[in-house]
Amino acid sequence: MPVSSFRHRRRIAITTTLLALLVMLGIVWVQTGRLADVSLLTGATLLCCLLLLALFGMRRRLPILPVGSVSVWTQVHIYMGFFTAGVYWMHVPNLIGNGVFECSLSVIFLLVTLSGFYGLYASRTLPKRLTAVEGQHRFDRVEWHRGQIADHARKLLEELSVHVGIPVLGSFYTQHLSPFFNSRPSLAYVLVPTGGRRRRLLSDLKDLERYLESEGRSTAGRFAALVRRRDDLDYQFALQLRLRLWVAFHSILTLALLATSLIHSFMALRFAG
Amino acid sequence: MEVEDSIAVRRPERWSEPMDASMDDADVLWLRSREPFASMDAKAFPRSIPLEGILRNDCRIKRCEPGEIIVREGDYGNSAFLVLAGSTNVIVDSLSPGQMGRSSPEKMSWFQTIRQFLRHPRVAEARSPEQVTTAVDSPTNKSSIRQIDDRPAIFLQDFSVVLRDHTSVELGPGELFGEVAAMYRSPRTATVIAATEATLLEIRWQGLRILRRDKRFAASLDDHYRKHWLNVHLREVPLLRYLPEPSLLRVAEATQMRSFGRLEWNADYKRTRNLPVEQQIESEPIVCEAGRVPTELVIVRSGFGRLSQQYGASHRTTAYLGKGHIFGLEELSYNSVRPDNTPLLSLQNTLRAVGFLDALFIPAETFAADILPHVRRTELPQRAADLMLQSIEQQSESGADRRQNARDEDTAASRNIDVESETGQQFQQTALLEFIVQSRLNNGRQAMVIDLHRCTRCDDCVKACGNAHDGNPRFVRQGLSHDRLQVVEACMQCIDPVCMIGCPTGSIMRDEESGVVQIHESICVGCGTCAAACPYGNIRMTEVYDHQGRPYRDMITDMPIVKATKCDMCSKLPSGPACAAACPHDALVQIDLTESKPLQEWLDLRS
Repeated sequence: MPVSSFRHRRRIAITTTLLALLVMLGIVWVQTGRLADVSLLTGATLLCCLLLLALFGMRRRLPILPVGSVSVWTQVHIYMGFFTAGVYWMHVPNLIGNGVFECSLSVIFLLVTLSGFYGLYASRTLPKRLTAVEGQHRFDRVEWHRGQIADHARKLLEELSVHVGIPVLGSFYTQHLSPFFNSRPSLAYVLVPTGGRRRRLLSDLKDLERYLESEGRSTAGRFAALVRRRDDLDYQFALQLRLRLWVAFHSILTLALLATSLIHSFMALRFAG
Repeated sequence: MEVEDSIAVRRPERWSEPMDASMDDADVLWLRSREPFASMDAKAFPRSIPLEGILRNDCRIKRCEPGEIIVREGDYGNSAFLVLAGSTNVIVDSLSPGQMGRSSPEKMSWFQTIRQFLRHPRVAEARSPEQVTTAVDSPTNKSSIRQIDDRPAIFLQDFSVVLRDHTSVELGPGELFGEVAAMYRSPRTATVIAATEATLLEIRWQGLRILRRDKRFAASLDDHYRKHWLNVHLREVPLLRYLPEPSLLRVAEATQMRSFGRLEWNADYKRTRNLPVEQQIESEPIVCEAGRVPTELVIVRSGFGRLSQQYGASHRTTAYLGKGHIFGLEELSYNSVRPDNTPLLSLQNTLRAVGFLDALFIPAETFAADILPHVRRTELPQRAADLMLQSIEQQSESGADRRQNARDEDTAASRNIDVESETGQQFQQTALLEFIVQSRLNNGRQAMVIDLHRCTRCDDCVKACGNAHDGNPRFVRQGLSHDRLQVVEACMQCIDPVCMIGCPTGSIMRDEESGVVQIHESICVGCGTCAAACPYGNIRMTEVYDHQGRPYRDMITDMPIVKATKCDMCSKLPSGPACAAACPHDALVQIDLTESKPLQEWLDLRS
């Protein structure tokens, strides 16, 4: 078990990254002063960093290898990512390159970098938001849980025996609850999960109470509990999907970046003169 | 509720489920004609639990064939055996795992690990024939598992040679073995084999406990325990490690042994786990009550204890105790060294048995006379240590003496290894403490804990587990949660492994070196006893297939071959547990919950 706290570890890593960047900046400054072409040095450093960063993806897929735990690799990946962004800034004359190929390369690099920064933010904030919601649902079981909630809601309605409540709750179920329970959340919800539809449904259910007697009210209360459960489930689904899509997005772009970087390096060496 | 609404049911009785339904009057009469039952006083037993009832319901007659392994060293069991006829041999020195049908997990090389990773079987739960049974068709290979009457039994191959090569002690008719492990939930210390065709009476612990009402029988059991085991158990307690032999003997003589709660706590676990904490605390048997003057030092021998204090209308959990922990040390030591004019210190916490608790009780006088003088001052609770220091300082006038004391203290401090366990395991948060005790997670020596504030739910841990086990993950990422912690449903390698009780072939056992509870699949008969006994549901029964996807079936019953599967801490992998190594965010750890320190440190790292 590590003896130092995460805060201590972070402090050391940030200091090391800043030192490495300062050293690199110093070398670039000295070389520029000597009127040397530093783009080859920064480019080679950048390519090496990219290859090392991409190796993390392979390490994750081969957890049994004796090359340190994946969490250590993650830390190296994060801080090397920061270092690489700094070296990129030293390497390029403009943030976005000229020409179709150079422009694509720089756009891909920036996308990978930004998605990396977002990933760091997301992996540190989304777990807390997921934990704050009731129930810890596995992503692969979300569909099953949705089915369970929908079945439960349908049975609740079927069990209703008081005639006064049947038309009121029946019509509300058909118009609002059934579409909510029996369909997947909308794309808008998945992209930006909010409590809007939950609040709307709960408020509508509350409004129905004046038309219901005690049994109907109790059933409405249980519908409200199911609405909350389903909304929590969708919230978990949306956030977990976001984390998974981010990993896929970052990985695919990394592959594209590697390929374009290798072509760029080849061309740079070919025309270096 | 209206009376008309009530439902009439038959209340379960003590012997609703006899150990062996085929025991009849003739068997009971025959047993009553033999020692030690012939000389037992039937009047010593309550009317509701007569001696004949115990013999009929808490015992079974077991026929063993020569070479059959009756109990294995390292196994846990809840019954003792009385030899009725024939002879059995206790193997004094340990047999190799292979001799008992167990194959010790061999560490794979890196090359083998990578090859296994790259060549996953396409079929889930695929096994080779050697992994499924020991009876692989071969002229030289004889099965070590055979059916005796209605039960599977495991045999020692070439047992006459084994008996010749190992030191053994013969046990004949009238002799009892296995009672210490049965009564005190400790592992069997030796392997016992039937040397000839033997008839044994298996007595489950509930019956054994009642049989102790017969004074002669109880005395013989106690004598045996005191003579052979008590000194060993006392010597294992860190607080008593500096006791000279005469003091230890006096302590042993004065020590009382008492048990609280139900040894089969796992049977009630699922019900009690969901009780409100206050109800659960109320239902737990009290061992020592707060506010009373302590009269005995309590050393937990097995089971779990909860320390609680009255807070408002209910009790608040302050710590938990486990095997080897001590209760009452602070109060007793303070009372022993306090000046005459100061009042006695009464117990500050109530000690309750959580499920089951078995403890040694050492009287206060014995503690003061024979233990306290040999305890290092730094190992005593602060209040008592301060008092002791004051008293020593008053007595010693010279500076040389004071310097000597300071040197003694330094030496003692360097040897201080057990202070933290004396007053129980404590967390800063009462809610976390109560979650652990309520869910009986303090049983776990390698509980898989996830920090939900860092877990991105990527399931890389589950995938890594699958990769390490031929594509078959041994856990799913779900389990009990409290605040930011989730205790995953994966084997915790418990300190009280109830799953190991009742395995008919000894297929499930703890590896002595690593402490990991292993399942030796080739001798697992798929009875499901371990899976049913595991209160946490961490053992799964699974059908097995060959590498072409054809299910294995029993050639006699045509039933599918089923094996018990569970987390094995990746014992074969050179890198240890794959799940923890695969977590990219330091969110997963396998941690010892029998002590609070590891979890507290782990939480502190991320606070």
